[in-house]
Amino acid sequence: MKRANFRRGLRAWWYIVLFFLYAPLAIVVLFSFNSTRTYSTFQGFSLEWYFKLFANETIVSAIYNSLTLAIVSSILATVLGAVLGYGMFRYRHLKLGWLIWFIYLPLVMPDIVYGISQMTFFVQIHEATGLLKPGLLTMIIAHISFQIPFVALLVYSRLLQLDPLLFEATQDLYATPWQRAWYFIIPTLQAALISAFFLSFTLSIDDFVISFFTAGPESTTLPIFIWSAIKKGITPEINAISTLMIGAVFTAAAISYAIQRARLASNPSRK
Amino acid sequence: MTNSETMQAEAAEAEAKRQTDKPPDPYAEVRRNATGGKPREASAISLRGVQKHFPGGVVALEHIDLEIEAGEFFTLLGPSGCGKTTLLRILAGLEDATGGAVAVGGQDILRTPAHRRSVNTVFQSYALFPHLNVRDNIGFGLRMRGVDRDECQRRVDETAKFIKISDLIDRDVAQLSGGQKQRVALARALINEPDLLLLDEPLSALDAGLRSQLQVELSQTQQRLGMTFVFVTHDQQEAMVMSDRIAVMNDGRIQQVGPPEDIYERPANLFVARFMGHTNLFPVERTGDGSLDTPLGSLTGCGDCIGSHVLIRPETIELLPPEEAGDNRFRARILDRLYRGAFAEYQLECGDTRIAAIVSNRGQRQYDPGEHVALTVDSSGLVFLDE
Repeated sequence: MKRANFRRGLRAWWYIVLFFLYAPLAIVVLFSFNSTRTYSTFQGFSLEWYFKLFANETIVSAIYNSLTLAIVSSILATVLGAVLGYGMFRYRHLKLGWLIWFIYLPLVMPDIVYGISQMTFFVQIHEATGLLKPGLLTMIIAHISFQIPFVALLVYSRLLQLDPLLFEATQDLYATPWQRAWYFIIPTLQAALISAFFLSFTLSIDDFVISFFTAGPESTTLPIFIWSAIKKGITPEINAISTLMIGAVFTAAAISYAIQRARLASNPSRK
Repeated sequence: MTNSETMQAEAAEAEAKRQTDKPPDPYAEVRRNATGGKPREASAISLRGVQKHFPGGVVALEHIDLEIEAGEFFTLLGPSGCGKTTLLRILAGLEDATGGAVAVGGQDILRTPAHRRSVNTVFQSYALFPHLNVRDNIGFGLRMRGVDRDECQRRVDETAKFIKISDLIDRDVAQLSGGQKQRVALARALINEPDLLLLDEPLSALDAGLRSQLQVELSQTQQRLGMTFVFVTHDQQEAMVMSDRIAVMNDGRIQQVGPPEDIYERPANLFVARFMGHTNLFPVERTGDGSLDTPLGSLTGCGDCIGSHVLIRPETIELLPPEEAGDNRFRARILDRLYRGAFAEYQLECGDTRIAAIVSNRGQRQYDPGEHVALTVDSSGLVFLDE
């Protein structure tokens, strides 16, 4: 009977955790559909705030900036990170431990330090050369730099799971290095690349700190907009924007997870 | 080589029949493809002084000289770490030699990268591509060389039929059993009609029954195609069943090259004898009167033999009733008898020495453990060897 109590306790704990994780999100989503401005009570369902949102040019441009930033940086980070991950795999016999450690460092670096240093870096370059004016381009570069380690890590761990003889088999079967990349490495990494893309997307779309320091006046993204709007108090529009972002990130994360799972299911025997 | 002559005769015959529009031989097409219309000599292999030194002072191959004839089923046999797989990988182009020359059909290939060599490999773990089904796995090499889809499709079907895996053609690689994977790996290599097919212990992951079945299938396939096969194994039984010739390797050197009978019946040194499973090896000492002193007793009738050890193959030993004394007969006691159906395997004790004998069960008297016999050695069947 003790066992049953223990299990009941675990279950209760699980619900408490879920409650604290998701109740705040649920409230934001709920009040984004509220028909009045009040926060105390839910007065009735309405899409009013969503219409207002899309009528506001600043917000529409922030959505556009956020999506452009997320999509462009994720695509580039996926390509560059995959090349990096492949390089780490291809030259793993060189024992590049410390180099790989450098690649992973941005994963644990505090965002605020990273953001400030990126800003300083871009400002210096801009003053010296006139290039890299703070704006969408500097944000894209900054985002790519923190997305790359995640992509490289995913690609590298996928490659490590493969039988190394497969690479030799492609050579043995007349594949040139380019053919090997196109007909073997890319198709084999397909699932890892897609999930790396969506992971990068979610990282980019909800990033505030690094974006804040590298943005220019024209390149306000949704998180930056929310931060400046919130000084005037939380409005139902903010709830509506937040709900849209939750939706976008959930979708991307779900696709990434589903692809990882499908790969595992189709390949159960891999160690 | 008689094998290649037969193949040429058969090819000519198939050609004649094809002209009358009635191909009588279902494999004629595959066989014609397999040689690519080239003369057989094109696939003879010659290795001269091949060396492989790994960084850090490890020597994988000392100095390998080897001639492999066209259309031959050639086996590299040896314990793990003897260099046989390294040699195979050098032939495939997956490893660089640090010295020497390798020629296929008179052309030096050491500088040719793996993907431009007309050499294909059946890997030990099969290395089938997990992202492709059976059909695309088999057709991979043709696709890489730019063969168009229809032609590729046709030849995949043909090869699958030849290897008897037509029913697996649309399966996923993950759904195949070990034996099926082995066949797919073989088809994937054969379809490219290479000058040389390399097989790296392709049967070692299979269970015993399937293994002996595939041994027969593999050597039949090789004979039908007349392709040069270089096969690597550590299993001397497998090597003897399948090969035209065997090279026994140890410590990066070739110990002996020859047909299976030579290797088994006349091993060149103690290593080869032990590796081929021989246990009846005894040190010999020459005495003044021309006879040889062995732990069994004195052997006569082999005065001109040189070597520090003698090998008495167990099947050359005869067991007679103990009262029949004579030259090269030694009194021995039966320790154990294993009944093997067609023959019986005896363990005997002769003085302090143990010796094994194999006696046919056809009309021979059976002895029981504890009985004494006269162990009779045929002096013409003795092999003398050195370390």
